[in-house]
Amino acid sequence: MGKFFTIILLLLIGVAVLGVTSYNGLVSADEGVAAKWAEVENQYKRRADLVPQLVETVKGAADFEKSTITEVTEMRAKIGQMQLPAGGPESQAQLDEFMKNQDALGQSLGRLIMVTENYPELRATEAFRDLQAQLEGNENRIGVARGDYVTSLRKFNTGVRSFPKNYIAGHFGFEAKPQLEFDSSVEELPTIDFGGNAPAESGK
Amino acid sequence: MLPFSPTRSLLILAALLCSLALASTANAQEIPPYSGWVTDLAELVSPEKEAELHGLMETYRNGEGGHEIAVLTVPSLRGRSPEEFSLRVAREWGLGKMDTHNGALLLIAVKERKTRIEVGRGLEGSIPDAVASRILRNILAPKLRAGDYDGAVEDSVRALHAAAGGDYGPLERAGDRPANTTKDLAIIAGMVIFFLVVTHRRRRNPRRLRGGRNSGRGGFGPVIIGSPGRYSGGSGGGFGGFGGGGGFSGGGASGGW
Repeated sequence: MGKFFTIILLLLIGVAVLGVTSYNGLVSADEGVAAKWAEVENQYKRRADLVPQLVETVKGAADFEKSTITEVTEMRAKIGQMQLPAGGPESQAQLDEFMKNQDALGQSLGRLIMVTENYPELRATEAFRDLQAQLEGNENRIGVARGDYVTSLRKFNTGVRSFPKNYIAGHFGFEAKPQLEFDSSVEELPTIDFGGNAPAESGK
Repeated sequence: MLPFSPTRSLLILAALLCSLALASTANAQEIPPYSGWVTDLAELVSPEKEAELHGLMETYRNGEGGHEIAVLTVPSLRGRSPEEFSLRVAREWGLGKMDTHNGALLLIAVKERKTRIEVGRGLEGSIPDAVASRILRNILAPKLRAGDYDGAVEDSVRALHAAAGGDYGPLERAGDRPANTTKDLAIIAGMVIFFLVVTHRRRRNPRRLRGGRNSGRGGFGPVIIGSPGRYSGGSGGGFGGFGGGGGFSGGGASGGW
């Protein structure tokens, strides 16, 4: 009889340990997602913060096309009003809305940069080139942050859906988070042509 | 959510493990291993200069800022974008210290004629994208165009070091100054810091600098560290590996020549 109880006890301990490690794994994965999301938001915010500087710089050029400037500032204002939960978007609709607006700002920025092609003396200034470098760097940072976010999401969502974590997740209310499709969204990202030093993916 | 089935779950887990294993070996194949501070796969830099740079970068790491600046040259990117490639290399190598992530990587891809400076999170404040871009535009590119590869790499490394030390003043006015003055000032600034670092080091650990003290005109010999450590072949200097940080989030700039 003693042997029987020992086995039961060991099994119970085993299950308990499995439960605790699964739970802890989910918690840390959850926090990982939140941290990576913060980075995504942070990089988008950086880009939005560059807008006034860019606007100032292009305004300096003689009779710079007004409509593109207005478009960019309006998009930026719209993004400033967006509110998302601190831990990241909770529904697919929230995430899609956020990305739609950010991509729209990206595209209007792309158009603004394209218009500058008509102002060679503006593009030649060191100030403009620095801004270009910052914008270009920022697009890259956004891409990296999104990539890292997707990786952490995948880890979390896999945990929530696979055995034995799915039981723990169900019990403690962890839900799969809205997915950001990495590959397709990279294609959607506006390609800003920064001229000579651009990091052209296809360039040879 | 899928209904629970132990067999399916196990299969899924097994498949995940396999794919993870596959993914990591694929990564390992694409990322070249480092052979010191300068990993010159494209053989752009002369062995003497490489040894000299080795010593230089070792002193940077041992200096006050403790930042790690590494150089990688590759013959070709083989279809990858410089941004993606340099990010993965920098993360894989673990450039920068564990807690501060103060590493930077200078990448030169010969066939594509592309360059990139990847800046670690800890250095993003002192080497913002615009500064990285200026180093590529105003220091690296002209020298590469002129075929002075040794000078191109050395000057860029010194400029990066000067920037990381918060001493990048001269280049702020790059636009309205003759290129030479700017470059010289940057080099001088770099050298001043370098010598401060060297003398500082010497006081603390004189043995370490044997051979590192300048050996006449030829600049600095390789810094040979007493213990063999992980000697990684290549040219000059023992190399104990990077700090293991690898905290990179895509900061830096790209360029070409």
